[in-house]
Formats: sequence, C-alpha cells, structure tokens
Amino acid sequence: MSASQSAVRSRAEAVKVSRTFDWLICFTLFFVVLGGYHVHFMLVAGDWDFWVDWKDRRLWVTVLPIMAITFPAAVQAVLWWRYRIAFGATFCVMGLLFGEWVNRYFNFWGWTYFPINFCFPSQLIPAAIVLDVILLMSNSLQLTAVMGGLAFGLLFYPSNWPVIAPLHQPVEYNGMVMTLADLLGYHYIRTGMPEYIRMVEKGTLRTFGKDVAPVSAFFSGFVSIIIYFLWHFFGRWFGSTAFTTAS
Amino acid sequence: MKMIKDKIAKLSFVGVLVGVTAAMFYAPTAAAHGEKSQAAFMRMRTIHWYDLNWSKDTVAVNDTMTVTGKFHVFKGWPETVDLPESSFLNIGTPGPVFIRAGSWIGGQLVPRSCSLELGETYEFKVLLKARRPGDWHVHSMMNVKGGGPIIGPGKWVTITGSMKDFKNPITTLTGVTVDLETYNIGNIYFWHAFWYAIGLAWIVYWLRKPVFIPRHLAVEAGKADTLITPTDKKVSIAFAVGTMAIVAATMASTNAEFPITTPLQAGLLRGMKPIEMPAPTVAVKVDDATYRVPGRAMQMTLTVTNNGDSSVRLGEFNTAGVRFLDPAVHEDDTGYPDDLLAEEGLTVSDNSPLAPGQTRTYQVTASDAAWEVYRLADLIYDPDSRFAGLLFFTDEGGNRQMVTVDAPLIPSFI
Repeated sequence: MSASQSAVRSRAEAVKVSRTFDWLICFTLFFVVLGGYHVHFMLVAGDWDFWVDWKDRRLWVTVLPIMAITFPAAVQAVLWWRYRIAFGATFCVMGLLFGEWVNRYFNFWGWTYFPINFCFPSQLIPAAIVLDVILLMSNSLQLTAVMGGLAFGLLFYPSNWPVIAPLHQPVEYNGMVMTLADLLGYHYIRTGMPEYIRMVEKGTLRTFGKDVAPVSAFFSGFVSIIIYFLWHFFGRWFGSTAFTTAS
Repeated sequence: MKMIKDKIAKLSFVGVLVGVTAAMFYAPTAAAHGEKSQAAFMRMRTIHWYDLNWSKDTVAVNDTMTVTGKFHVFKGWPETVDLPESSFLNIGTPGPVFIRAGSWIGGQLVPRSCSLELGETYEFKVLLKARRPGDWHVHSMMNVKGGGPIIGPGKWVTITGSMKDFKNPITTLTGVTVDLETYNIGNIYFWHAFWYAIGLAWIVYWLRKPVFIPRHLAVEAGKADTLITPTDKKVSIAFAVGTMAIVAATMASTNAEFPITTPLQAGLLRGMKPIEMPAPTVAVKVDDATYRVPGRAMQMTLTVTNNGDSSVRLGEFNTAGVRFLDPAVHEDDTGYPDDLLAEEGLTVSDNSPLAPGQTRTYQVTASDAAWEVYRLADLIYDPDSRFAGLLFFTDEGGNRQMVTVDAPLIPSFI
C-alpha cells in the first residue's frame, strides 16, 4: 500500500473507523472538559458549590450560573458551528458533575468525613439541556446568548430547590434560629474555614422582602448573557483551525 | 559503557518503584495543625488563652466533652494583624472528628462571627460531640478576619467506638426530628441521578448517529442545515419542555412538602460580654528583656509594686500558651498538656512575698525547650522584636491575678 492510498477500503470500514473515532473523541473530550471545567469551577465558584451553608438566595443563585455558563458556551461554539452537534452544554455540565461527585464522595466524604448532605454539588443539567435546545432551535448565537443565558440563570434555583429545601427548615438551637444547612456548617468543623468568610445573604435587596431569589436569578441570567458571548468567542478562538489548514 | 548505563537506568527504575511503594504504604496521619509554624508574635501578642480545661482525655462516639477557659484580647495587638472586629471562635481539630455541638463566649452562643474588644478578657466554652474514633489534637482557636487563625494550646484526646454508630438528632421548628448525619442524602442522590439520566439520554440521542467526521464534512460542504432533521427538532423540544415542566412541578411539590423554610442565617454578633475583671493591684514595669538564644531562656527585669492589701508572689509567666511556673508558688493540677508546661521553668531572683505597698525589682528567667520546640524563639526575627505575655501573681489567700506585659525584646547570641 502506498502512502497515497487510503487505509480504508470499503464504506463499511469507513463507517467503523468513523464510529471508533467518535467514541475516542467523546471519551477524551469528556475528561479534558471535566478537568478544565472542574478546575475553573472550583476556583471561581468554590465554596458556594462546596458547602450547603453557602447555598443562599442571593450570591449562590447569582454567582454559580454566571461562572457555570462559561465552558458550555465555549464547547457549544465548537460543537455546533463545526459539527452541528447539539449537546455541548449538557456534555460539559455532565463532565463537571461527574468530576465533582468523584471529588465530593472520595475527598470530602471518604477522606475528610464531611457528610454528603453538607457538601453535594449544585445541579446544572436542566439549565444546560435548555441551553442546548435553544441553540439547536434558533441556530443563532445572539438568540442563544440572550434566551439561553437568561434561561440558564433562571432555571438554576428551581432545579436545585428539591434538594436544598429540606435543609432550609428552621431549627431553634440554644436560643437562636438556624436552618439545618446553617447547623450542618456549624456542627461539622471546618478548621481552616471560619464563618466570616461565608459570603451569604449579603447585599441590598431588602426592598424585595423575602422574595430575593427571583431577582438574583434574573440578574444572574443577565450577566450570563454577557458571559455567554464572551466565552462563545473563546470557544471559537480555541477551536480555530487557521494554523492547521493545508495551503 | 552501555552496560553501566543500563544498570543505572534499571537501578533508577527500581529506586523509583521502591520510593513510590514506600510512599504508598507509609502515610502517617497529619494530626496537628501547624501551630508551631505560626509566627511567634501572632501567638504572643494577639489572643492569650489561659485557664484552659479539656474535660476529658478519652471520649466515646456520641459522648460529649468541653473545652473551656478564658482568653485575653491583647491591647498591644500588632499592626500587621487586622483588629478582631470580625472573629470566629473555632476549634482546632483535624476536620469533623467531633461535631461542634455548641460554642459560647461570655455565655452567648456564637455560631457566627463576633466582635471582640482589645484589652478585654472573655470566658469561652466549646461543647464537642465525638464522631470519629482516633487520637486527635484538640486546640482552642480564634479566627480573625484579616489576621487568620490564631491557634491556642492543644491537647490529645482519644475517641473510642465506631463512627457508624454516630447519631446527630435535631428537631426542627416544625416538629420533625431528623438525623443530621444522614438527613436528605437519599433525596440528593435521587435528584442528581435522575437529572444525570436525563442528560445522558439527551447525549445518547445524538450519539446514536455518526458524530464527528461525517458531520464535519457536511458542514464544510455547506450542508449543515440538513444535519438537523424535523425529528431531531421535535425530540429536542420534548426534552426542553419536559425539563422545564419537571423543574416547575418539582419546585411546586417541594414547596408543598416544605411550606416553611427560612433563609440561611448570617450577620456579625456584637456585644460579647467580657469578664468584669477587678483592677489589678499589682503594677509591673518591664525594665528590660532579653532572649538568650544558646540558653533558650528569656530574662526580664521587672519592677513590681504591690498596691493591694495582701502580699503576692509571682507564680507564672504565660505566653503563646506555654506556661512557665515557679513550683514554689503555683503547681498545675488541671492536666495541662505536658509539652506546653514548664513546671519549673520560672526562676525569680527573690520570690519572697511582696508586701502591700512594697516595690521590688525582679530578675525573672523563663527557660524551657518549649521556646525552641514551639518556635517562639523565632520572635528574634520579627521586624518589631517585641514580646508579650501574662504574669500571674498569687496572694496569701491563693487568689491569682493577671497582669499583662508587653515590651521590646533584645536577643543575645553569646
């Protein structure tokens, strides 16, 4: 066989090679995205995602979608515009959650014995599916950024509420009112993490009374729109083949 | 030559394997908290812990113990450490080997950060419930925002039993009793598994068909629009609508199941009640102080005036949790950690009772290996070279009174 001849001799062989390539790329991409996204998320969302006593109505709701829409936007930019593959955001988020669960289960629980109900990750999959579908249906960067970014921010809190709500039940503890989540944070000693670095319930949304979560979610959605644009272009730049295209 | 190179390569490989294996099988427990590596001035000039008591040396899983005592917030607080306007009474343990069942300053529960005043002395108590068996070093600890953790003395405590027996029952304000150790874990696993399955279904739908090469070729050929079929669109809409419907329905059902929820509780606690200390009747002036490096000893010249109505003797010098005692005046019977106790570490030139109204100059030497072991000798490398500590005088009735000292320290290297 000369160098100019193809290694694939039939259509069946071509299909087989193509599918093998699909699985190899998917497997590799999953762990590459997992690694990059996980490090990014631990650095920028960090404690808000680690601990249940950081998952509040204001900052957790605001910060996490903004920081989470980054990699999905970038991966969508490559997978959609180059391949018309519509699962970029979900693929990223599932990689992140897989990595987070490994971390939380083996490190937080298995190594340092923090109970899982204290250190479980936030749920992002529903928002990611909707982001993927909006891109597929609109085939538009602008619409996906505006509609998808907003939806990503708005869906975050309700997606997590079934898991969070039981831990927001009030308790009277030695004469003070706390939630079960507060109590978990108080009971399970974090030697290196004093209470004052906990950034929760800060801000000036008092005029909205008790209903600050929707306001925070809207704000998060607006900022997610901008972040989506920014990271979409990071994705396009990162997926550029300008330097590999044959002349 | 090649044979030698091969041998070196082989031996190096064996060496690496042995090293890796040794590292895997020798993994000692990191049970202390770096208290010795914290800058000496941080421990000597910020929070002075004293009268500490660990109620038990051995405690069974589910049983409780307390760490009690007092801490003095030093008036000569160093400029390089932020003032303790936002401080958190922590406990230094290797993670949640205990749970902190309660912590109080001046009788007030302090689950959150609080403000402390310079020059005041506070009583504290931390109630711990044993959770994980082992030998653990339990420290008093105060975190100061902008200053970091200020770790106090630590004592080894043994927890016996099995962690699987640990229970943490809590009754909510709605009257439901839950075990906080395991509460809601099944719910968390269920919802995460549920959404992961939905996400997986979404991806598998697309992975049924060829993914990268044929699609890339089609996009390059300008046929991108043919890659998304009407069925794909219908399925996608079903996924999106289904997702939003499930989110809305579960939010509603959760609200119905838990109609009463409250936000996380936060905010600085102010107005901590200090101990009302009587005005000291002993006045101390530090004339000079030197640290003799070869002898591991600090020498102070003190001018002491007794303004009280009972004669006093100097019994103890306490700095950074290390206690130097004159056994003729004061002996410890509290079970204070041995490594922090220099039972005969305090030598006073003339420690006969100082009568009321009398003034005397003392030559005081505090010597012990603890200066080196606890790296307090590193004070001589500080940029402002000052020391501080607590002196305890004992009167005829056995009452102790505390006087703080704070002065420059001159190192002596010969």
